[in-house]
Amino acid sequence: MEWAWWSQAANLKTLGLLIFFVTFCLIVLWLYSNKDRSARLEEQKNIPFLDEERDQEAKDKSNG
Amino acid sequence: MSESHAALAEQYDYDIIKKFSIMAIVWAVVGMAAGVYIASELTWPFLNFDIPYLTFGRFRPVHTGAVIFGFGGSALFATSYYVVQRTCQTRLWGGGLIPFTFWGWQAIIVLAAVSYVLGFSQGREYAEMEWPIDLLIEVVWVAYLAIFVGTLMKRKQPHIYVANWFYLGFILATALLHTFNNLAVPIGLFSMKSYSLFSGTQDAMVQWWYGHNAVGFFLTAAFLGMMYYFVPKHAGRPVYSYRLSIVHFWALSFMYMWVGTHHLHWTALPDWASTLGATFSIMLLLPSWGGMINGIMTLSGAWDKLRNDYVMRFLIVALSFYGMSTFEGPLMSLKDVNALSHYTDWTVGHVHSGALGWVAMISFGSLYHMVPDLWRTKMHSDRLVGVHFWLATIGVLLYITAMWISGISQGLMWRAFDDYGNLQYSFVESVAAMHPFYMMRAIGGVFFLTGMCVMAYNIYMTIRQGVRQADAATQTAAVAAA
Amino acid sequence: MLKNIKSEILETNVGVLLVATMIAISIGGMVEIAPLFLMKDTVEKVEGVRPYTPLELRGRDIYIREGCYLCHSQMIRPFRDEQLRYGHYSLAAESKYDHPFQWGSKRTGPDLARVGAKYSNEWHVQHLIAPRSVVPESVMPNYPWLLTTPLDYSDLQDRLRALRITGVPYSASQVEYEQNVKQFGAATAKELDIAQAQKNLIAQAEAGNYDGDHSGISEMDALVAYLQVLGTMVDFSKIKPEDLVKYR
Repeated sequence: MEWAWWSQAANLKTLGLLIFFVTFCLIVLWLYSNKDRSARLEEQKNIPFLDEERDQEAKDKSNG
Repeated sequence: MSESHAALAEQYDYDIIKKFSIMAIVWAVVGMAAGVYIASELTWPFLNFDIPYLTFGRFRPVHTGAVIFGFGGSALFATSYYVVQRTCQTRLWGGGLIPFTFWGWQAIIVLAAVSYVLGFSQGREYAEMEWPIDLLIEVVWVAYLAIFVGTLMKRKQPHIYVANWFYLGFILATALLHTFNNLAVPIGLFSMKSYSLFSGTQDAMVQWWYGHNAVGFFLTAAFLGMMYYFVPKHAGRPVYSYRLSIVHFWALSFMYMWVGTHHLHWTALPDWASTLGATFSIMLLLPSWGGMINGIMTLSGAWDKLRNDYVMRFLIVALSFYGMSTFEGPLMSLKDVNALSHYTDWTVGHVHSGALGWVAMISFGSLYHMVPDLWRTKMHSDRLVGVHFWLATIGVLLYITAMWISGISQGLMWRAFDDYGNLQYSFVESVAAMHPFYMMRAIGGVFFLTGMCVMAYNIYMTIRQGVRQADAATQTAAVAAA
Repeated sequence: MLKNIKSEILETNVGVLLVATMIAISIGGMVEIAPLFLMKDTVEKVEGVRPYTPLELRGRDIYIREGCYLCHSQMIRPFRDEQLRYGHYSLAAESKYDHPFQWGSKRTGPDLARVGAKYSNEWHVQHLIAPRSVVPESVMPNYPWLLTTPLDYSDLQDRLRALRITGVPYSASQVEYEQNVKQFGAATAKELDIAQAQKNLIAQAEAGNYDGDHSGISEMDALVAYLQVLGTMVDFSKIKPEDLVKYR
């Protein structure tokens, strides 16, 4: 059962915490490390509102 | 006007969304009515009427199936098709597959309900459908995935909006869970009966891996997709932090899959597995609350709207319940709390604070926002939306309060000892003590169901009004052309 | 620079997003589920646990059909109050032939993991027909049709064959039969013989006469036979508690 050391209760909490923490840090680093990327990412939050312009364009086109 | 309508109709496939929206409301009424009925059966057992088809055991899956897969599923199909088209600015891909997902899904809900009352059940909670229905689900689900991915691929917008990530995660996870949880050996090609491939401990593990992630992905991730589109859209402000929503997505997707074992504390499942589940359950609080804060901060600039906009109120109450139940969940996954809460009504209350407070409320908000847009009209009555809001809120509060009291008293009565070290109460004494709270729960359910009926009426009138306006516009156009 | 490209790929490429999501959602399940199938000490080695006889199995099918698991658990936890109320805590071995498991998640009624041999057959029949005639405060539905519906055992062999595929040792050949004799003893091995299933079912129903009615085999016969065997297979007087601890 050597290979199953990670399934021992004693190691589990530490291991789970470690895996989670490293992954979490990587994601956060990736997200917040670069100013350009941050700006670009935050740009995307306007996507739901782009369709309103299109709605308007469609209306304008058909009315015009 | 009519021409612009036609142009828009060409731009997006609204027909399928309309169908799913209507069925979401129909299944909500049916499923919640079934819920009120079985709650009443527990209060007044004569309601079983000695009819096999009506007994609690056969009717309960009808309730869970109709609300989760009928109401929840249809609402998710409708909103995901709406959101993916509008955020990709493209028409739905898939041709004949699109109506197939609608008719296939509705057939599944009907077949499941009929098979349950007739006594066909796999005996797995929230996955009682027997193998032929499971296969149909598999096929419809693959079609759904194809449509969703196909639409994402032909998008006009380079970026994929985060709401679509959540929907995609939900579709993938549901496919994975459904497939493995339903592995079974049928007793014959022409028999509905099958036996699950796994047994005992392994089967319990697989079932609750499915069971909790059905909550995590079907009832949470997917409805978060709804939240990330409709909350910003209705508030008229972009989401508070897009980066936070990305952290929310990855942390949730990664961590939810670990937590199912907290349903099996103190059982014959090896301790390491349930401890792992509890650890992740507690960590899950972070991304859950991150997401809730993201939603509430999005709304926070629009507080003035709260005064007269009931849709907004639905959204904010939904987010509050999301925060509340994602706090209660980790609490109940602690082994010591679980020792008291497991097997009691507390669990039932927890599920309903999530299902009624979060899932149903966010769906109501989204549907109230979406339906007028689909039929190009206004809500028939804003006042009735308000009536629905109050009925629903009072209903949930009654329900979960009743279940908190009954759940905790059950837990305490079962473990109470007298001075001589004997059990203080017989089991049936705890059953008798629950009667008033079961009545209270049923009344809470009636409130919620009444609210739902008000919504159904209001939506019906709205659609009728939309159709009439469209007809009138077409006639005017025809007259003008002549 | 490389990092920049990566982030763009994730946000703008459906395929990559799909694969990344799939990886994120697969890890948890794999880590928790796979070891249960691979590790040997998940299930205790105890004497006495055997597959259900044909009659008990049909009873179990009825238990599942009526959705009993929605109100009754079959999993006693290792607490003093549960020990006093229900008996020894449940072992993984006791449900190793349960396809599907019926541990349940709710006790609207009491746990049934060790209900076997606690009440008489007559009590069970009366309680199933009209629970409130025995326990006035009960909220359980009446199941009168169990007594009047004849048990269908026409597809019994199909059922046993399907279970055999999942790994339950019902015997389909002489070799398998011999193996069962070795593992469970001659009397049980006979009950597990697929070819003799119908005969065995009729014999057990007639000998047991669970529903108190000799005129035929009803669904009540099967269900009571199942209830009466629940939790009775393991003899705990022969087991030392410390032998069980390492499996927890």
